[in-house]
Amino acid sequence: MTLSPDQTLLFEIWGIAINATIFYTWVVMAVLTGASMLVTRNLRPDVPPNRWRTTLEVIVQGIQEQIQEIAPNPSRHLLYFAGTLFLFIAASNLLLVIPGFTPPTSSLSTTTALALAVVLAVPLFGITSRGIGGYLKTYIQPSFVMLPFNIISEFTRGISLTMRLYGNIMSGAVIAAILLSVAPFFFPVVMDLLGLLTGMIQAYIFTILATVYISSATSPAKPSQSALPEKETL
Amino acid sequence: MSIDWITVAAQIGNFLVLIWLLKRFLYRPILDGIDARESEITQRMQAAVVAKEQAAEAEADFREQLSDLRFRQSEMTDSAQQQAEAQRDSLLAEAHQRLERERQDWAIHLDEERAKYIAKLHKAGAGALLSLTRKALCDLADQNLETQMAHHLVTQITPMAADLHRAAGSCNAALVTSHAALTPAAQEIVTTGLQQQFPGIAVEYATDAAQAPGLELRLGGAELAWTVDSYVDDLAALIEEQLAAGADLKAQPHEI
Repeated sequence: MTLSPDQTLLFEIWGIAINATIFYTWVVMAVLTGASMLVTRNLRPDVPPNRWRTTLEVIVQGIQEQIQEIAPNPSRHLLYFAGTLFLFIAASNLLLVIPGFTPPTSSLSTTTALALAVVLAVPLFGITSRGIGGYLKTYIQPSFVMLPFNIISEFTRGISLTMRLYGNIMSGAVIAAILLSVAPFFFPVVMDLLGLLTGMIQAYIFTILATVYISSATSPAKPSQSALPEKETL
Repeated sequence: MSIDWITVAAQIGNFLVLIWLLKRFLYRPILDGIDARESEITQRMQAAVVAKEQAAEAEADFREQLSDLRFRQSEMTDSAQQQAEAQRDSLLAEAHQRLERERQDWAIHLDEERAKYIAKLHKAGAGALLSLTRKALCDLADQNLETQMAHHLVTQITPMAADLHRAAGSCNAALVTSHAALTPAAQEIVTTGLQQQFPGIAVEYATDAAQAPGLELRLGGAELAWTVDSYVDDLAALIEEQLAAGADLKAQPHEI
């Protein structure tokens, strides 16, 4: 039994082996981009919105509102980043219902890549917002003694994000595979339903946590932000 | 459970590409569309507010015009009513004047007709009276009226001869006029009678159609008349009395 789709090599392009993780990532990217292009190709002010455009507007505005609840003054770049995170993870997890499809998020490499992207995005957004000096000051707050702990906190954030998403998605896939061998006609359906639910929840949690990390780096530290560890326990 | 760092790098690249693709084909068109729609809605709402203000101004202007029109209408109605009343009073006064004038004309006409009728009646009555008298005198007494009138004239002047001499003075001619020509016998009687009282007097005879039947004698400043005027006047008074009684009887039903 293969636990990671990284080990499944599908084909080669110019001598580069393409595994299932990368291939299915491209599938998800193609689905998201294709759907967006189809809906927004004739998007003009004089054309009344149809149901598909309205659906995309609801999704985008929903993401925007969630970000605005966390970050007081979010930039569009934060929407691009966090929204793409959510849509990619959610689409990957929802495509689990397609037979033969392996979610890229069940790969530790994918979750690591997403976590690294968040870990790298936090200082980038922080420096963009506060400047490099202002951002580095956050590591010695509230006192210089907290510098090592803050540095450790930055890395543990990435690790926690990686393991949480990977564990939930991979475990669901593994449990479904095990139950498929035990009760092939009943449990896989139930587990797929649970997988859809947990997949959406994980996409939401991953995105929210990433937004919290970025917004904490872009806004001044406040006493109320002590609630962040509680969210991290999700 | 292992991490393939090549796959990690590829996935980071894929994720960055996906961010760019979704920014290009999803976020920017959708958000720009939303912004454009919000801007359009804002513009429309502002236009609606402006249109509402204009409508309110137009409504106020219209109400003011309506009030002005109602006031003018009321004024015109009052003026027309006053003119109508004045014209009605004028027409009524004119009608009253015309009726009064017609009534006066009618009264004058009635008086004229009445006078004409009375004159005609007087003339006809005189003629009828004379004719009946002559016929009755002829049938009952076998006498001629003119002859008897001549005898009567002679009889009447005898007692007043002294007065006639004074009135006549130096006049030595007498004029006897009658409605119709006297018979020669009657002229002889009169001439004889006058010459007995006034010797040598010349007597002339003349007829006057306007004169009442009878005889008139003019002698110097004296003038004597024996005509049927008084009888005809009595007859006319009697007839008028009867006519007045008949008019009262006709007027009574209208008064009721």
